[in-house]
Amino acid sequence: MKEISDLILPDNVKYAEDHEWARSEGGAVTVGVNDYAQDQLGDIVYVELPAVGDTFKKGEEFGSIESVKAVSEMYMPIGGEITAVNEDLEDSPELINESPYENGWIIKVVPTDEHELNALMDKKAYIGMLKGSE
Amino acid sequence: MEKKTPLNSWHRAERANMAIFGGYEMPLWYPTGARKEHLSVLTDAGIFDTSHMAVITVSGKEARHLLQFCFTKDLDRCIGKNKTPLVQGRSAYGAFLCEDGTVLDDAIVSQIVDDHYVVVVNAGMGEPITEHLQNHAQTRSSVSIIDLTDRLGKIDVQGPHAARLLEPHLADPQRVFERMPYFSFKGYFDDRSPLSDEVRLIDGTPILLSRTGYTGEFGFELFMDEAHLIHVWNRLLHAGRDAGLTPCGLAARDSLRTGAMLPLSHQDIGPWPFINHPWQHALPYDERGIVFTKKFLGDTALKHCANPAFVYPFAGFDLRKIAPGDLSIVTNAEGNEVGTVLTCVTDVAIDRYQETIFSIASPNAPEGFQPKGLSCGFIKVNTPLAYGSIIEIKNGRRILKAEIVQDIRPDRTARKPMVQMR
Repeated sequence: MKEISDLILPDNVKYAEDHEWARSEGGAVTVGVNDYAQDQLGDIVYVELPAVGDTFKKGEEFGSIESVKAVSEMYMPIGGEITAVNEDLEDSPELINESPYENGWIIKVVPTDEHELNALMDKKAYIGMLKGSE
Repeated sequence: MEKKTPLNSWHRAERANMAIFGGYEMPLWYPTGARKEHLSVLTDAGIFDTSHMAVITVSGKEARHLLQFCFTKDLDRCIGKNKTPLVQGRSAYGAFLCEDGTVLDDAIVSQIVDDHYVVVVNAGMGEPITEHLQNHAQTRSSVSIIDLTDRLGKIDVQGPHAARLLEPHLADPQRVFERMPYFSFKGYFDDRSPLSDEVRLIDGTPILLSRTGYTGEFGFELFMDEAHLIHVWNRLLHAGRDAGLTPCGLAARDSLRTGAMLPLSHQDIGPWPFINHPWQHALPYDERGIVFTKKFLGDTALKHCANPAFVYPFAGFDLRKIAPGDLSIVTNAEGNEVGTVLTCVTDVAIDRYQETIFSIASPNAPEGFQPKGLSCGFIKVNTPLAYGSIIEIKNGRRILKAEIVQDIRPDRTARKPMVQMR
């Protein structure tokens, strides 16, 4: 189990309370689960992805992530339309463990409301939340 | 406040993910990950800290009589094909029931010498089972029941290489491994017992070494005074790690035992009558499987219970699982809701090929067989289901197809003769 100080938490992504991350890349926002989530879940064996074209509101469940331990739901950090899903996860779900912010990205979203991205936590606020829940 | 085993700091230093189980803070997995830990027990060997398990000694003139009355296995008919009595050096699996036929806990009973037995129960159950046995002893003066909770440590070494990895640490491996079948043991953990000379490590540590475990694979459990635990653990790992000995946490233990169709007490067996389940061998049935060969606590309730539940093992068709528990639903082929899921895990060492389930250890596995894993577990239903029948298991949005099976992970090694494993 990683100590909070050992977690990889990049500065260039925003953090949601349910441990997803979101990163603006041109018009779209890439979303994944963060290092804390993958460490807590353990070996990820299966990812259930939404379909391209689906739209969700902020906080809605968009898929599930299954580890050796449990099945966990993933929630939209922002509302919007799914424009891409990471198809590599189908054969290699362990990419989320190995590279949660790069090769293990999960979906790309065109946001409905840009402000929702800005409202997410930065690294400092997220660490504060984790420390508060310890 | 949760309890800790003496290896707690070791688990933490190794950065294990920890969780509370049975009142103890235990490792779920190490950075290796539960998947590789599970596989290591099929290919090499895993080492588990199982010091959360509780040990009780039952001794005195009334000891056997008391266990015969409280334990579901018939101790006079339990060894081998001919059902001979439990004798010194042998162990038997069964359960302790309440009068109403529900389960207090399951256990392994080992006969150390005449009038002296060791009973291994689950974490936190040392005290309640000790009390239960005391309450049913006819005369307290003729039986002594001692709860050794937190006074013993236990290490499980499980996997096809277990004997080879243990051998260099034993003072006299030749003598120890000779004539040591499944569910037998040698030695004792207390220096004051003459039996303690049967199994000593090369540094003189006395251990009770049993050919038992909770993985379905070949291996041993090592019982010792708690004071020796850290030292023995470090010694085994220092020598064995490069040879494939992998520290394993409770997640791998759970998925391995499920694939081996072993129940988890308080989850797969519990507060409902201990009948109509895959562990009929734990009940004292006669050859025809109809009548009980002895009287025991709970027998009348088992014989006369109205609408008892049925427990069945199942295997899924891919690795996906659902969360078990009261919110899960089992639906039969006709679409009727018939029960709930007790356990649902992924055995990552198995997969289906055409109609058959193979394991990575199957000698006849298809060429290039690389399992992704299969979900498997136990369901509790209100109606009999046929082996091979298809059910749906559901929790929340997720619905999975599964099959009622007679066995889950094939080609397990637990019962292999010692001569093949050295």
